[in-house]
Amino acid sequence: MLSYLVRRLLAVIPVMAVVVTVVFLLIHLIPGDPVSVMLGPDATPTQIEGTRKALGLDGPLLGQLLGFYGRVLRGDLGQSYFLDRPVTTAILERAEPTLVLMACALLVAVAIGVPSGVVAAAHRGSIWDRVLMIGSLLGVCVPGFWLSLNFIYLFAVRLGWLPAAGYASLFTEPGTALRYMVLPAVSLGFNQSALIARISRSCMLEALQQDYVRTARAKGLPQRSVTYVHAFRNALVPVVTVIGVTTAVLIGGAVITEIVFNIPGLGRLVISAILRRDYPVVQGVVLVTAATYVLINLGVDLLYAFIDPRIRYD
Amino acid sequence: MARRAFWLRVLTAFAMAAVLIIAAGPADAQKKGGVLRVGNLGEPPSLDAHWTTASITETLTNHIYEGLFSLDRDNKPIPMLAESYIVSKDGLTYTFKLRQGVKFHNGKEMTSEDVVASLTRWGKQSIYGKALFAQVAELRAVDPATVQMQLKEKSAIVLISLAVPNNFGAIYPKEIAEKFAPEVKVTEYVGTGPYKLAEWKPDQYIRMVRFDEYKSRNEKPNGYGGGKTAWLDEIRWVPVPEVATRVAQVETGELDFADDLNLDAYERLKANANARPIVSKPYYWLVAVFNKKEGLMTNQKLRQAWQAAIDIEPIMKNVAGGKKEFYRMDSSLAPVEIGAWHTKMSGLPWNEHNRDKAKRLLQEAGYKQEPIRFMTTQEYKWMYDFALLSKQQLEDAGFVIDLQVVDWATLVKRRNNSKEYDVFTTGMGAFYDPTHHIYLTPSWPGWTTDEGILKVQQELARETDPKKRLALWEQQTRQFYEKVPVIRYGDLFGLRAARNTVKGFNESVERVRFYNVWLEK
Amino acid sequence: MTEALTERQRWVRRLAGNGTVMTGAAILLVLVAAALFADALSSYNPTRLVPANRLKPPSAEHYLGTDEFGRDVYSLVLHGSRVSLLVGLTTMLLTSAGGIVIGLTAGYSRRLDVPVMRCMDGLMAFPAILLAIALMAARGPGVWNVIVALSVVYMPRTAMLIRSTVLSLRELDYIQAARALGRHDGGIALRHILPNCVGPLLVQGSFVFAYAILAEAILGFLGVGVPPYVPSWGNVIASGKNVIREAFWVSLFPGLALTIAGLSLNLLGDGLRDVLDPRLRVR
Repeated sequence: MLSYLVRRLLAVIPVMAVVVTVVFLLIHLIPGDPVSVMLGPDATPTQIEGTRKALGLDGPLLGQLLGFYGRVLRGDLGQSYFLDRPVTTAILERAEPTLVLMACALLVAVAIGVPSGVVAAAHRGSIWDRVLMIGSLLGVCVPGFWLSLNFIYLFAVRLGWLPAAGYASLFTEPGTALRYMVLPAVSLGFNQSALIARISRSCMLEALQQDYVRTARAKGLPQRSVTYVHAFRNALVPVVTVIGVTTAVLIGGAVITEIVFNIPGLGRLVISAILRRDYPVVQGVVLVTAATYVLINLGVDLLYAFIDPRIRYD
Repeated sequence: MARRAFWLRVLTAFAMAAVLIIAAGPADAQKKGGVLRVGNLGEPPSLDAHWTTASITETLTNHIYEGLFSLDRDNKPIPMLAESYIVSKDGLTYTFKLRQGVKFHNGKEMTSEDVVASLTRWGKQSIYGKALFAQVAELRAVDPATVQMQLKEKSAIVLISLAVPNNFGAIYPKEIAEKFAPEVKVTEYVGTGPYKLAEWKPDQYIRMVRFDEYKSRNEKPNGYGGGKTAWLDEIRWVPVPEVATRVAQVETGELDFADDLNLDAYERLKANANARPIVSKPYYWLVAVFNKKEGLMTNQKLRQAWQAAIDIEPIMKNVAGGKKEFYRMDSSLAPVEIGAWHTKMSGLPWNEHNRDKAKRLLQEAGYKQEPIRFMTTQEYKWMYDFALLSKQQLEDAGFVIDLQVVDWATLVKRRNNSKEYDVFTTGMGAFYDPTHHIYLTPSWPGWTTDEGILKVQQELARETDPKKRLALWEQQTRQFYEKVPVIRYGDLFGLRAARNTVKGFNESVERVRFYNVWLEK
Repeated sequence: MTEALTERQRWVRRLAGNGTVMTGAAILLVLVAAALFADALSSYNPTRLVPANRLKPPSAEHYLGTDEFGRDVYSLVLHGSRVSLLVGLTTMLLTSAGGIVIGLTAGYSRRLDVPVMRCMDGLMAFPAILLAIALMAARGPGVWNVIVALSVVYMPRTAMLIRSTVLSLRELDYIQAARALGRHDGGIALRHILPNCVGPLLVQGSFVFAYAILAEAILGFLGVGVPPYVPSWGNVIASGKNVIREAFWVSLFPGLALTIAGLSLNLLGDGLRDVLDPRLRVR
């Protein structure tokens, strides 16, 4: 286990190196001089040079890249031009809404997806199974942002049951916060719940056909126990992996959800930064999200190895 | 018997009076308090009033800062931080006496040194400041309560320039005005206004709280000026970029007020039991600004062709959500609400929608179907709307238009660069004086350098007789339609929404103000 | 020669027999026809603004209603399919081509394998949409920029797929035999490895096609896709969101079209996967 852990951790380093390099290159994809674009044509040559130095954009490209690496390793993601504060501060300020949104969406996806898939597998071939298969197929294909619009129209504007947009902190006003979170979490988690349902179902089916299940039945264990205790536990393993992948997809989906529902999270931050040409913030947020994805994958892999000993000897 | 009855009556009268007096106290106290949540279009580029002409900055800064003068309900200058003023016989010396005991948000008392430092900074950065200071020889503090302005020539625009709310001469403490160079935005916000800045969390909210030591003028509220009472404990400005969300949040009560709404929402706001729509006139008048420094549109005949080709009414109607009540067709360069400068002239080549004339002018211009770069943005929906509709009309008349849709920040930056565009869209707010029409100056994007136009602007700055000024203004209007520095479309009205609990809101001024406003419990 | 024909016939029969594949392919065909014959099928010119017909509900004159400029939604949806299918197909082709090149390189060259894999891992760490938005903001609007951005984003997955196919095939006996006989790797790759990649590529390609269509719509919705006056499903949904209360049809129908397009491609991908590689079956 330990050697697997070490190997896995070491593999993260080159991946992160690639991530940091790509983030660095993003700013150089812009046609023309990024600093002039940022400051506008009113800027004086002194201002441009000063900002260029502050952003580490002076000197040869390789030097800039190394400098960028150095700063990132020290935890310095630069200074936001528009917000007048360090990028790290801006990100920390806006992380909470995004994390809460993603957690709620994941909860929705798992809470709807896993039980549906498991139950459908247990009743394979029945009408419920059919309904689920069709439902999950549609669920995967419906565009999340379009769903958000329709939810707002139906539940907020027409029926008035839930607020149309906005955010309240879970830690200060839990009741209101939950009301604000319902529509965003459901529209974000919807697609993933369909995916999780399909995979849970197939993993469950596979588990149910294993020998040990037949043995358990032959031993006279009640059907319910066999299904939900034994098969389920083994089916869970690939599902955990899918949850890891789901989280990555949720990060991307959260960007759009935040815009539609006016949630002041990292997604809104990065879009505003892009529109305002606040490049340090764009780089910082993209870097942080990619790093989070890598870490989540690492966590899932380790969890997987912990649950299934066969993996460790790969 | 009669005497006791008499005294009884007197006693009752006193008792009633006493009850009324006691009742009046708490009733006033009921008005005080509450947090007003206002939905904004977005983040202000800055809270430095001297630095930018952006409307959103104008609205926000007028709650925390004040200038020497302000505008009354007839859009005439009235004293604000100034107590009184005297003009010398030759008209070259203005002496302003300042109000006493006015405090800044940091506790410091306002003196003439603060005024001189602030106005000097404003005179170097603001469009209106620069226009005024071109005529100023010296501005100095005579004593702590008096400021004197020495002019190079007679000027018609001293008071009005000091009174306009946009990009205005806000009075900062001397230390702040001197600390930040004019081109740099201030990052410390201290003013004399009824509200002070408590917290600014970009993209989340801007919080302003009541300034308890605010010294209000004694008069009743009058337009933007007069007495100001801060009933509300706090004003919270929340950026909500999606217009549909802004409206929905007022309908559901998450916001108390929202501005810059789309006109399609009028009907359902009217139907809503808890909120009401407010139509603001004017809101903006729509213009397409030509790049007259270089490129295709330096050709006057081409500009005249554009002016001849477009049919303005259907464009305005569509932009106004299909409703006649939300726009106005007018050729005057100052809207109806600016009564002093509104012109009713005939025979102007405005809205001729004469396709034959346009085609003829295109030929005379020697136009060879080169694509004309027309820059607009979707962030102000009405800009995109009138650009798209114009494009179709122009192409039907023989133009080739390359419509470039960018975000507002990019548009504002690119319009300063004469190589990047030929035409861009924008909206003009109300100009209170003829010399404030920025599109008639050589320094604003578009670069109007026509000698005839500039000459009349200079004369307008010097001429003090109102009748002669109006005549000059009419002459300028004729020149405008002949030389076409920009295309004037129609006047668009704006839509705001307020919850019914919001009271005391002045609906007749152009931009929103929340002093003198209270929340009914 | 007779064997190859029978092989092909067997495949065709297998594909034709699979209901999922046929349904997906049928719907896709309808979409392609709609895109190709959009001009003929449309009742109006979708780019012609008719202010007088603003926000009209669905009727006999306008099957799916009109938008805020009086443009016919039905015609807009038909023409929008062109952008979607163009972007989807081209992205799929580019990612496949790029994926093949990178995957083969990684699969064959032991030296380059690890660095290339790490690069792909690195690229896949970025949320696809975020990377696409950042690329679009850097390069500016336009169909080709959208295609390039999406291809960059989805290429790593295809490359990994090709690589694993190469790796699993490389050790097979008949490949070793070919090598022993002196055939060099390039020839082997072309004649033996690539044909075996076709299956997984088609499956992966269907899903990439679906992702690309959706991503293009999201970019359009956010205002960083093709210019807003070009008919595209994302653009029409975006223009409808402000008037969703007064005219729900503007955002509704392009969204339905998106769902149907995604459905057809997902069905196709699922079905192809069932037929081509039963091991991967989602039963």
